[in-house]
Amino acid sequence: MKKQIFLFFLLTAFACSCGDDEGPSEQVDNFDRQAMLTNWADNIIVPAFSAFAEKTTALKDAGNTFATSPSNANYEDLVTKWETAYLGFQEVSMFEIGKAEELRMTNNLNIYPTNVAELTNNVMNGGVNLELPSQIDRQGFPALDYLLFGIADNQTAILEFYQNDGNANQFLDYLNILTDRIDNLAQAVLSDWENGYRDSFINNSGNSATASVDKLTNDFIFYYEKHLRAGKIGIPAGVFSGDALSDKVEGFYKKNLSKALFNRSLDAVENFFNGAFYNNTSTEGESFKEYLEYLKVTKNEVSLATVINDEFQTARTTAQELSDNFADQVEIDNVKMLATYDQLQINVVNIKVDMLQAFNINIDYIDADGD
Amino acid sequence: MKPIFAPLFLFRLSLVNNRQPINKLKIMIKSHTYLLFVLIGILSLSSCKDDDKDMKAEVVVPATYSFERDGVSSVSFEGQTTRIQMGKELIDAMIDFNVSEEILLEMYSNETANGGGDANPFSDAALNESTKSIRSKVAASADLFSSNTVDAASIKQDFATWISAQVTEVFPNENELAAAGQAGQIADGTSTRYVNAKGLEYNQAVNKGLIGGLMTDQALNNYLGTAVLDAGENRADNDAGTLADGKTYTNMEHKWDEAYGYLYGTSVDAANPNATIGNDDSFLNKYIGRVEGDSDFAGIADEIYDAFKLGRAAIVARNYTVRDEQAAIIREKISTVIAVRAVYYLQQGKNALANGNTGGAFHDLSEGFGFVYSLQFTRQNNSGAAYFTKAEVDGFISQLTNGNGFWDLDAATLDSISEAIADKFSFTVAQAGS
Repeated sequence: MKKQIFLFFLLTAFACSCGDDEGPSEQVDNFDRQAMLTNWADNIIVPAFSAFAEKTTALKDAGNTFATSPSNANYEDLVTKWETAYLGFQEVSMFEIGKAEELRMTNNLNIYPTNVAELTNNVMNGGVNLELPSQIDRQGFPALDYLLFGIADNQTAILEFYQNDGNANQFLDYLNILTDRIDNLAQAVLSDWENGYRDSFINNSGNSATASVDKLTNDFIFYYEKHLRAGKIGIPAGVFSGDALSDKVEGFYKKNLSKALFNRSLDAVENFFNGAFYNNTSTEGESFKEYLEYLKVTKNEVSLATVINDEFQTARTTAQELSDNFADQVEIDNVKMLATYDQLQINVVNIKVDMLQAFNINIDYIDADGD
Repeated sequence: MKPIFAPLFLFRLSLVNNRQPINKLKIMIKSHTYLLFVLIGILSLSSCKDDDKDMKAEVVVPATYSFERDGVSSVSFEGQTTRIQMGKELIDAMIDFNVSEEILLEMYSNETANGGGDANPFSDAALNESTKSIRSKVAASADLFSSNTVDAASIKQDFATWISAQVTEVFPNENELAAAGQAGQIADGTSTRYVNAKGLEYNQAVNKGLIGGLMTDQALNNYLGTAVLDAGENRADNDAGTLADGKTYTNMEHKWDEAYGYLYGTSVDAANPNATIGNDDSFLNKYIGRVEGDSDFAGIADEIYDAFKLGRAAIVARNYTVRDEQAAIIREKISTVIAVRAVYYLQQGKNALANGNTGGAFHDLSEGFGFVYSLQFTRQNNSGAAYFTKAEVDGFISQLTNGNGFWDLDAATLDSISEAIADKFSFTVAQAGS
């Protein structure tokens, strides 16, 4: 008994030997971080980007087809490809590292709400450089959301616009540019992983703010906090502002996609936490869950990994109460959005504080103070 | 006057009415004299309240910064509120690509290019009608610049130069990607920053530079100093309760309030500003709030506010020793705020560069540039000078903008400037840097 208590104490001390959050980030345990990086790269990240790149190519082709011939059939095909690619994006958005970081992938693909006035300027003026930082709110999936569903009141009117409006060609050109660019970005990121970055990612298995584990862990937490918790739920629900903002939901113009996007994103986060293989989620490799269990980290006497997974499930169940259309949900019964937010928030603490401390990794981003 | 003579009169009367032999007279004189002395003693005591210059009156500190005279507030700092509001319009306009250089400079000086007073650059009509200006109070403190108009002119011109450069160098490159030697835009998360060829955001230079050159300099080196508080007849007037013409306050009270106004001039509730400290402007108020939010410096907001309150109450109580003690506290604390933020942004910039976040780094460094520039307007209590001379600050600025400026900066330079700043204060780089 004494020996077990001593061992427990030793491991707990080890797990918590995090030091202050201003000290350098250092691995203080013997967990095989490189094995984790390998699992991440080979079984999750590259397969996810590979799948995504297929979807963006299909989207690009459908965009080209519709731009050439804006028929009802081509429109519906384009809509399907857009949805599939947008859902697929939820599975890669958190991997903002390497080429994705360099190209500012998530900001170029998913800033919402889209800026309709500036988008229209781009359409009418032509020749805009979409690589400029100032252009992030006029491209990507949200811009297509507007072009496909927001430009007129219903499908008939939308088709009528693209077939007969005097400016239709300019809008179709822009739509084509957007679908091309989404695919270009996806291909560039995948290509980088497949042609060298995978090795340098895995080999950068050291202990510092620029090591792969530190960076990707930060990316994961940033994605969870800012994109999943705040972007999809908190901001529209008015948590960070005086009033609820129903026009700031993801998929605002499509109307009934918000919840599907949210669920896919939550699934991706949970799967990554557990090291679930992208192509076979019932198989788990090394990831945060295994790392926490290796360190025997507990919270209130329960395994922290279990606490986190249970909370993911609670958040998912709470979100089941939401309408498919988050804008409606915000307007009709925002309390359910707030309830979902509260569940997501609980895991922010578990992940950003407890888990990071256990790994002795420092947060590398600061909440902007509005400067 | 008259009461003093009364007992003598009585004495005289008793002499006149009672012709006594000399012996009895001597006894009478003695007893009357005794009475006389007692009466004079009582009268002397009772006339004391008209002459207490040597006594330290007890200073009564109110719960909030509320001071009244005959039921009307004696607190006033409109000019400071106006300049904070002007400053806000200016820094916002500096990143509006539709605004002209002429308008921006008019916002700075509140004059037309030929010095005419009919400039109307602001969207707020009240500001357009005001005769106040930012420029006239930049590097204009009595203590640092009354006999240094050369530096004052140079500093005033710095701001005009940055404002013009924003239009001539950055605006034309609105849709260019910034690079070493190329002005343009750079991504900072989901924000877009507009920088010059050296990576500096001129709007941040103006914003953070004004915190030093306008608010800090005016508060610490002008309105809290004896040259201004005790100017002319201010002390005698304050002692006598003589008010400024047509006002509810003495001149000295007003000068103190004007220092207060540069911190809290746009507070939601200026009498209780710490309820919203940090949220009430984009200048000194904001950064007192930020430093307060750093656990290493928590309590500083109250220390500053309490010193202002006590000093103002001391003025009412005519206790100038306490008044000046509070001025010293405010100088030290606000100087610390400037220095802490300078180190903070240089360190954050350093970290962002290490993480490859160039846009984020340049934004931090631009803010740091402004706070470093502001160091020349801080105030040491033992020497009457700023913590850093203009030459020392110019030296730091040179290091930051050398060659390709931020594009060339390395961690060693940022650390050495941070150390040089922290060395003059009682905090460490680590404490201020995060």
